[in-house]
Amino acid sequence: MSTSRQHSESRAIPTRTVLINDTTQLPHDYCTTPGGTLFSTTPGGTRIIYDRKFLLDRRNSPIAQTPPAHLPVIPGVTSQKVLNENKKNEANNINNHDSKPGTGEDAQFEMDI
Amino acid sequence: MATSEPRGNETEDSPNETPTPAPAVPGSEQYIKHPLQNRWALWYFKNDKSKSWTENLRLIAKFDTVEDFWALYNHIQQPSKLGFGCDYCLFKDGIKPMWEDDRNKLGGRWLMTLSKQQRHNDLDRYWMETLLCLVGESFDEASDDVCGAVVNVRPKGDKIAIWTGNCQNRDAIMTIGQQYKERLNLPIKTLIGYQSHDDTSSKSGSTTKNMYSV
Repeated sequence: MSTSRQHSESRAIPTRTVLINDTTQLPHDYCTTPGGTLFSTTPGGTRIIYDRKFLLDRRNSPIAQTPPAHLPVIPGVTSQKVLNENKKNEANNINNHDSKPGTGEDAQFEMDI
Repeated sequence: MATSEPRGNETEDSPNETPTPAPAVPGSEQYIKHPLQNRWALWYFKNDKSKSWTENLRLIAKFDTVEDFWALYNHIQQPSKLGFGCDYCLFKDGIKPMWEDDRNKLGGRWLMTLSKQQRHNDLDRYWMETLLCLVGESFDEASDDVCGAVVNVRPKGDKIAIWTGNCQNRDAIMTIGQQYKERLNLPIKTLIGYQSHDDTSSKSGSTTKNMYSV
């Protein structure tokens, strides 16, 4: 695997500022940023890194509101019932998304061990 | 205004300050997808004793953008609501979520064992945090060592683990362990251990020795 990985020298990341005055100046596809490709110049290679906040922000993207195409139906995992439950929880979780007190109503699945 | 823009795609006689706007639908940035470094596969395992282990393992979906990750995450059950004996596994595309896979067999895992009480309070939060670490490539160069992550829902206490590819890569493993612990906001005195798959599969007692811990 990566036992013989070599480290490249570190270098400053070249930056450039491109101001946007209007949304029409944005590129129309996601692999380009204004003035060039966002991830083209990482020193020593390319790695696409996203921080926690950015990822969480994208959770509300309209794309993320529809289940993926061809999602297999797995009872208790991807069924319509689960989807409805998740929707309800989402509404509940807006204000306290860390811990929900147990309501005791969630009949735990039978043990099949 | 664009500053120090490289030459546009049109050669003009005199430099003009107005860039050629890309055709765009108003609000279309909402529909932009952000590519991930890796393509990932989410698996589901259900313990059905009448079937073999591999028959019980099922691929749910693959994704390679941030938005497709959320589309999946938003539409599947949370770990705390899965039945006992069930697992979710998120692995890089091409790596099967099992020890025997070529990219796992020399590896091991950072293992977090949760108490029963933590199923309500921490399990789903920790699992989501684990997923974000993986898809966001949170471990710098050590992210290359990551193979995937597994959550096991068990009556005695649930487990979450990050699997890496080579248990001898001490530096990468320690980077992953330290940053992971930080991300989960675990108390300093809580120790998590790293165990090689080899030791786990050949253990005689109920505990496997830790090769590393943070």
